[in-house]
Amino acid sequence: MFLLGRVTYLLLRLARKKGTSLPGLLMWRWRKTLLSEWLNQLEQLIVVTGTNGKTTTTALLYSMLHDQDQPWITNQGGANLVQGLMAALSRHANWRGVLRVRKAVFEIDEATFPLIMERVRPTLMVVTNIFRDQLDRYGEIDHALSMIQKGIALHEASQLLINADDPLTAFLGRNRSLTYAFSMDKEAIASMTMVDSSEVRDGSFCLVCGHELHYDGFIYSQIGYYRCLHCDFTHPDAEFIGSPRQDASLVVGELSGLPGEPSTLHVDLTGMYNAYNLLCAYSAARIVGASPRRIQEGLRRFVSPTGRMQTFVGKQQSEITLALIKNPTGANGVLRAVVEDVQTYAICLTINDQDADGRDVSWLWDVDFESFVTRSNIRRYYCAGERALDMALRLYYAGVREEAMVIVEDLTTLPAVLFTLGQKTYVLSTYTALHRLAEWFERESEKRGNDLDE
Amino acid sequence: MIWMSKLLRIVHLFPELLNLYADQGNIAVLAKRAQARDCEVSVQRVKLGDSLDLENSDILVLGGGSDREQAVVAKELMRYRADLLTAIEAGLPVLAVCGGYQLLGHYYELPNHEKISGLGLLDFITKAGNKRLIGDIAISWLDEAGHDRGETIVGFENHGGRTIHSYPSLGRVLRGYGNNGDDQLEGLQYKGVVATYIHGPLLPKNPHLADDLLQKALRYRYGESFSWCSLDDQLAMRAHQFLLNRTLSR
Ligand SMILES: [Zn+2]
Repeated sequence: MFLLGRVTYLLLRLARKKGTSLPGLLMWRWRKTLLSEWLNQLEQLIVVTGTNGKTTTTALLYSMLHDQDQPWITNQGGANLVQGLMAALSRHANWRGVLRVRKAVFEIDEATFPLIMERVRPTLMVVTNIFRDQLDRYGEIDHALSMIQKGIALHEASQLLINADDPLTAFLGRNRSLTYAFSMDKEAIASMTMVDSSEVRDGSFCLVCGHELHYDGFIYSQIGYYRCLHCDFTHPDAEFIGSPRQDASLVVGELSGLPGEPSTLHVDLTGMYNAYNLLCAYSAARIVGASPRRIQEGLRRFVSPTGRMQTFVGKQQSEITLALIKNPTGANGVLRAVVEDVQTYAICLTINDQDADGRDVSWLWDVDFESFVTRSNIRRYYCAGERALDMALRLYYAGVREEAMVIVEDLTTLPAVLFTLGQKTYVLSTYTALHRLAEWFERESEKRGNDLDE
Repeated sequence: MIWMSKLLRIVHLFPELLNLYADQGNIAVLAKRAQARDCEVSVQRVKLGDSLDLENSDILVLGGGSDREQAVVAKELMRYRADLLTAIEAGLPVLAVCGGYQLLGHYYELPNHEKISGLGLLDFITKAGNKRLIGDIAISWLDEAGHDRGETIVGFENHGGRTIHSYPSLGRVLRGYGNNGDDQLEGLQYKGVVATYIHGPLLPKNPHLADDLLQKALRYRYGESFSWCSLDDQLAMRAHQFLLNRTLSR
């Protein structure tokens, strides 16, 4: 077993050097064996899954845990499939296939979750939330739930951290020991409840008896304070309770019995969904033994991953903030953050429909653009990407006048267009255009830096 | 004929369960286009446990959900079966998409031969196939006699079920799978019923189909056809044409 791993590792290196690839199936078998071998060497392993916020939560958690003295391994930037894990682990393995670092925090795609879970002994499993994701990739919401459920069932002796405010995720922790939960403060949820929102609450059904759940307050999607009026399913009590403050900080109260003082956390990320990511990461770090002080120090080093609200400054005070959108819930969260920023002049929606984006653009119709259009003062809407026209049509039905819309046919012209506005713009993009846009914006803002030097 | 303001009542069935492919997009298009023709529009969302008032429904929209949700809906709607049958025979327009389409038939048979009961409003069945039929789709739109109407319908399909029926089809597949991936036919039309696997959602990029449904609804409710103004569909047809070209060139 071990020898095979070593041979594979050498072959892998060789193959990479020569730039050739081994026959697919053979390669896949070898890789699986090698992956298992590496995973087996881990002494502490946190896996983070769910449909939204995995990347940010994992990045936050990594920054809270990792330092020179106690290094951790992570799969950065959303490389959450088998290849991503391989790449992350290979960086810490010596030529014999032995890992030098034995602690890891991995983001794992919900569809790959059971497959990976068969090969590991996790210390802690974290489920951020279960929202309706790209439908054509894995089917329907029930599918994401059942995949995660399957993976968790393999490890009854491992700890589990769930989001109490999400009934689908909370269901996973029902009657399970070794389970922790995090939740936003009930008062905070009540004060944020928007009654006029037309968001679709996809998961708002009792998974025990099938009736619609009753909400005493909700934040977005199916996230909130819920209970079933027909059976005993209800919002579970949480060990970690977050209260978001006006200044974008988060105060965390603990009923976990773990040593340490309650904390006020601050990190440079906007939006309620990021408050959840922060609370989730904090709770996970506490469960695996990090002190609140260590967590605070780690957060200071945190760098936000690409596309999670990155800002680029260019000529004439032009400012572009880039955010990834990939499903209704994520997009609604980003749109709320955009509405809160009253200086916003324009928004650009870049919609592609390749495999990694989701080939079905139906989800655009589940995004609550109606509330957004009513509540924001945006002057101009740019639509770009392969499905720019679908986006424009969606905005038209949300009440945007055609005169306020610009359809950008050539994506490469976008940075120049937006950086000459002299205004603040938010660019929301699906996955396949995101990194290119980030690169172009970066270059354009560097140009500006050079201009100043001259 | 003198045009007078007409009331049009759109009923969205179980939006909390059957809204997998953004059917509120279809509703928005129907409502907006009817209003642009000076109709007064009401949209009623019938949720689980609410009663369905067929007397006061001019057009029903039935979307798709997961298998579990579809079973719940079938059970719920069963008590209206007799009335639904009568209304459909009388020409009640029904837009049924994906799972909603399958629900109109007798049952949907899963790979393990378990049958999810449908409403049996129309005489057909659906069986699960090995792989899901997923991708962009374009069809030529047919009339009830099977003649080409000279227009296309575009969208996205994603279904595991294979449907075979002997009703007139909604269209002939130009690219994509359609009802079963075999006979090059897509959807079904019977009196006021339009059933299809095409979503995206269906109506925003296919305004001609939306208008056809609205005409059917007015005829059903007021017993006559109406001549009305055409609307500015440039944006919708640009989006339609883009997807059509791209789908056909693949
Ligand atoms: Zn219940």
